[in-house]
Amino acid sequence: MGVDVPRTVRTALADRPVRGRVCLEAGAGVGNATAGLLDAGASRVYAVTNDPEHAAAVRERLGRTHPDRLVVVEADLRATPLATDSVDVVTAHGLCNVLDPPALDRVAAELSRVARPDAHLVVDDYAPPPEEAAVSRLFALENAAARLVDGRPLLTFYPADLLAGVFAGHGWAFERRETLLDPVPWTEAHLKAHANEVRDRAAALPSALGDPLEAMADDLVDDIGSERAGEMYSLAFRRTDE
Amino acid sequence: METRPLGDTGQESAVMTFGAIALNWLEQEGANQMVELVLDHGVNHFDVAPTYGDAELKLGPKLRQHRDDIFLGCKTQERDYEGAKRKLERSLDRLGVDSIDLHQFHGLEYEEELDTITGDGGALEVYREAKAEGKIDHIGLTSHGDPDLILDAIDRIDDLETVMFPYNPVVAGKDDAEHDYEAVLERCEAEGIGTLGIKAFAKGPWPSTDELPEADRPYANWYEPVDSPDEIRERFDFAASRGLDTVVNPGDPKLVAMVLDAASRYEGMDEARQRALIEELRHEDSPVPEQLHH
Repeated sequence: MGVDVPRTVRTALADRPVRGRVCLEAGAGVGNATAGLLDAGASRVYAVTNDPEHAAAVRERLGRTHPDRLVVVEADLRATPLATDSVDVVTAHGLCNVLDPPALDRVAAELSRVARPDAHLVVDDYAPPPEEAAVSRLFALENAAARLVDGRPLLTFYPADLLAGVFAGHGWAFERRETLLDPVPWTEAHLKAHANEVRDRAAALPSALGDPLEAMADDLVDDIGSERAGEMYSLAFRRTDE
Repeated sequence: METRPLGDTGQESAVMTFGAIALNWLEQEGANQMVELVLDHGVNHFDVAPTYGDAELKLGPKLRQHRDDIFLGCKTQERDYEGAKRKLERSLDRLGVDSIDLHQFHGLEYEEELDTITGDGGALEVYREAKAEGKIDHIGLTSHGDPDLILDAIDRIDDLETVMFPYNPVVAGKDDAEHDYEAVLERCEAEGIGTLGIKAFAKGPWPSTDELPEADRPYANWYEPVDSPDEIRERFDFAASRGLDTVVNPGDPKLVAMVLDAASRYEGMDEARQRALIEELRHEDSPVPEQLHH
């Protein structure tokens, strides 16, 4: 207790054996799943992120209370700096939606490589939001800005079956699907965070292009306020030898 | 309206309990109508206290008229023998009845209060005597305090039959011991103790009195309540689907009809939606940094 583990994470981990296991949180974000793994008694958690701010946030949030069990690793998951067959439980909580298909495939391959033969995998993500949802317009704008600046989309929402297929292709046997959130509460804070992603890209563009994108993002956030839309699901897998 | 066993008391309470503090802000005629309204909807468990202005007096006439249809909960904040005895007699007198079905230690906050209640010359002796005399049927407890304190009270008062405590998605989303009312729910479930939920409809604290003077608050509640039919229904469904036996309406009489409607239409809430509500409110004033995800 005391580490503020979201219900989504608690629910996703509830039927997985975490206590005493070596865990990898792929794409640590602000450390929600890392907090859940530590709270559930993991012997060690490798929290891997390629974002220095996220790495710092996770260290700040959890590093002092769990210095002996938490290892924050700044690295690209496509080349995860962990030994082959070294991890018992892998979690990817809200990771896949920030991976485009080529990156997803490479990350899935790496997660399989570092996992022990009988390892568990938990993949939590968002189903594609309904087309009529207002947040879909903000996500589309975010992707437009990201394509211009980074050459690839920032967000890809994969249907659960599609993700299950991708991981199955990398040697993971599907075990269960659970709905974590339905509807997903996109709060003002979430929408502002997404608008800031647009703002970051807009800053890298000529102002004739960047300013309108930024203005559109601000308008959308004002317009939407908050919205409940879509589903967040949890998939669980077991590593197979096939 | 759905009814459920109130722990092992033998009482079947409707899923909504009428918090009779609402009568305090009504004239007698309006109070009478309010009681008829909640009875018409199938509510059979009423909760009142001597500290609720003149709610006891206003409840009296209709309570006496419908005494057999109402399971009556009352309370006292007195912790010692003399005070508790005096207040119990006063409540019986003001309500105009011979007995109270459930008498509760009101608003337990500190461990020392529990010491006084259970010690020599404490309120518990009054409750037990009154039970032997047939003046009360069951002993309960209400608290906004630490869940651990409620668990202690369950340990120390072996004839405790119900507890009443705050429960809503904001509380449920707080992951520390201070808000771990789920441990209380589990314990009560295991021991056959009845559970009543309060603050199910709390949205948050009122703005500061500089921003909104107390006299300008639109509701009598000491917190700001949710007040649209959809929000009321959602909060009711949440509270009633997470293990509470019954949910008490907010104290303001303007909100009671909406809660009655929600309770009448209660059909449960699935877990993904419960989590969605918790998650939504967790982000309202979340201390963690800005994030894209849930």
